[in-house]
Amino acid sequence: MNDEPEDLDEKKSLIENNQERKDYSINFITSSVINRISLKFLLLYIPILWLSGYMALAVFFDMSRLINNWIITALLIPVWLFILYFIFVFGLAAFTRAILVIINMVHKPKEGVFKAEEGNRDFEFWRLRTELKMLALWFMNKGPLPWIVPWGFRWFGVRIDFSSHLQDAWVDVDFIEFGRKVTTGQGAVVMSSMIVGQYLIVKRIIIDDYAVVGGVSNVSPGTIIKKDTVLGAFSSTNINQILDKGWIYFGIPAIKLKPNKYAEERQGKITRKDVDRQEKYEVPLEINIDEDKKELINGNNNKKEDT
Amino acid sequence: MSVPSSLTAGPFVSLVLIKKKYLFFYFYLIWISFFTIQLEFWWYWDLLFEWKFIHFIAFLPLLCIVMYLTLIFVSLFNAKLILVVLNLIHKPKEGVYMRFLSGGSKVGKDYRYWCMRNVVKRWPIWLSHKFPLPFLDNICFKLFNVKTKFSNSLFSGWVDTEFIEFGKEVAVGQGSIIQSSVIIGNLLIIRKTIIEDNVKVGAHSVIMPGTIVRKNAVLAASSMTTIGEELEEGWIYLGIPAKKFKKDVFFDDGLEEIIEKQMYNVEQIRQEYEKLHLRRQDKEL
Repeated sequence: MNDEPEDLDEKKSLIENNQERKDYSINFITSSVINRISLKFLLLYIPILWLSGYMALAVFFDMSRLINNWIITALLIPVWLFILYFIFVFGLAAFTRAILVIINMVHKPKEGVFKAEEGNRDFEFWRLRTELKMLALWFMNKGPLPWIVPWGFRWFGVRIDFSSHLQDAWVDVDFIEFGRKVTTGQGAVVMSSMIVGQYLIVKRIIIDDYAVVGGVSNVSPGTIIKKDTVLGAFSSTNINQILDKGWIYFGIPAIKLKPNKYAEERQGKITRKDVDRQEKYEVPLEINIDEDKKELINGNNNKKEDT
Repeated sequence: MSVPSSLTAGPFVSLVLIKKKYLFFYFYLIWISFFTIQLEFWWYWDLLFEWKFIHFIAFLPLLCIVMYLTLIFVSLFNAKLILVVLNLIHKPKEGVYMRFLSGGSKVGKDYRYWCMRNVVKRWPIWLSHKFPLPFLDNICFKLFNVKTKFSNSLFSGWVDTEFIEFGKEVAVGQGSIIQSSVIIGNLLIIRKTIIEDNVKVGAHSVIMPGTIVRKNAVLAASSMTTIGEELEEGWIYLGIPAKKFKKDVFFDDGLEEIIEKQMYNVEQIRQEYEKLHLRRQDKEL
């Protein structure tokens, strides 16, 4: 019973020491939301919306004049709505990209630590870029087809394949690289930028092949998720964390839970069953090619040198 | 920044008591707001359709934006009128109320009016959140007596629409929830939530009613406060429920180099996490 208060005192003194030392390490996560909203972005929104809306309407009125029969026009209206939506969205994407190219020529986007206050050039341009991309991506996300969202991300400069899935996640559009067949869960936040106090931190995120990001989890800037790795649901990674290959991570911050055995089927191994002994054993997957060319497959070259 | 289609975040209005007679509010608000934009379009058609067709097409997208804005403002204005009348009949106040009186047959008065207020606010708020124009949300908040500044970014979280006060430069993270009322069993708890200047609320975190967040405080991602908790000035809070983590020293000047040094020291950070993993394994053994 007498030991407990001493422990508490020790803890208190530890906390006080920490206060004096000023801990500058960033081991917590906030969000990548733009910390100030201003009306000046409307100046860019209105011309983009106007021009792309005009494109869609011009096509519609031009084509509808060719068809004189009102019954056919009425029948075609659902098709028209679909086509007009796509013309509108592609118009938005094109005009936004045009403005983005000009903006990136004026100021090249770069990683690093910047001051998050009005007047700082890096911060202002970061805010401008995200606000611009948001409009087009919002319209794409509200649409009925899932393929258009990865296309939008590719179009705005994220390296992503059509095999990856980020429809239900909340992903920043700067400095992100996706591998093949990446799955991001519902409501997951993948952010390549983060505001901490006065400072804006921007760093590249890399998510490798077959990685899975669980639902409602946070991935903070600088994270590298390697091949076949799973980040569990409701867990988050800190800044610059590297998740090793073939593990399941869980917790806040994410820590190794267990090796990811569920991914092994794809690594060239198959299980065979011995019927007499009732045993299962693993065999490397053999590929049906000529004997002399088997050496070319990975790993076999070294063996030849040894012998 | 893409926004998930499965999570339609925005101003937060909970619909728990659904009754057919509340449809009256919806019908009134939807009818009157569409009626005005119908008049607007009719006037525009009359002006330009036969006289100058090219101008008609050219200015139609602009008219659509104007029509959308009038749709919001007319419905907002009418919702505000209904709210004023409702608040005259029954004044909204903080407290703990029973939802169902005497064995679940009768609905409590405070609970009924709270639901009615939410129903009235629903249509204008749903409308204003359909497009990524954050200041429309802020106008809604201001009209519904939430004290905010226009520069606050409350766009990507759920935020309740009454009994909340915001300071300057508040940022609410993606998918986080800020409540001023909560239902626990048969109880409805309404308490004022106050969030002061420069507060950052992390992604996926929840702020329960009655929480007071002081200046320069941070609630980190995926954490939650309890009812009536006070987060002190200049501290970072973390966990469920939120506890003091460390001092928020990131408002000091000239920290760029210190932070940048951390960012490229990847190997050390990796070893730290490896240690944490080993410690956890030892505990289990």
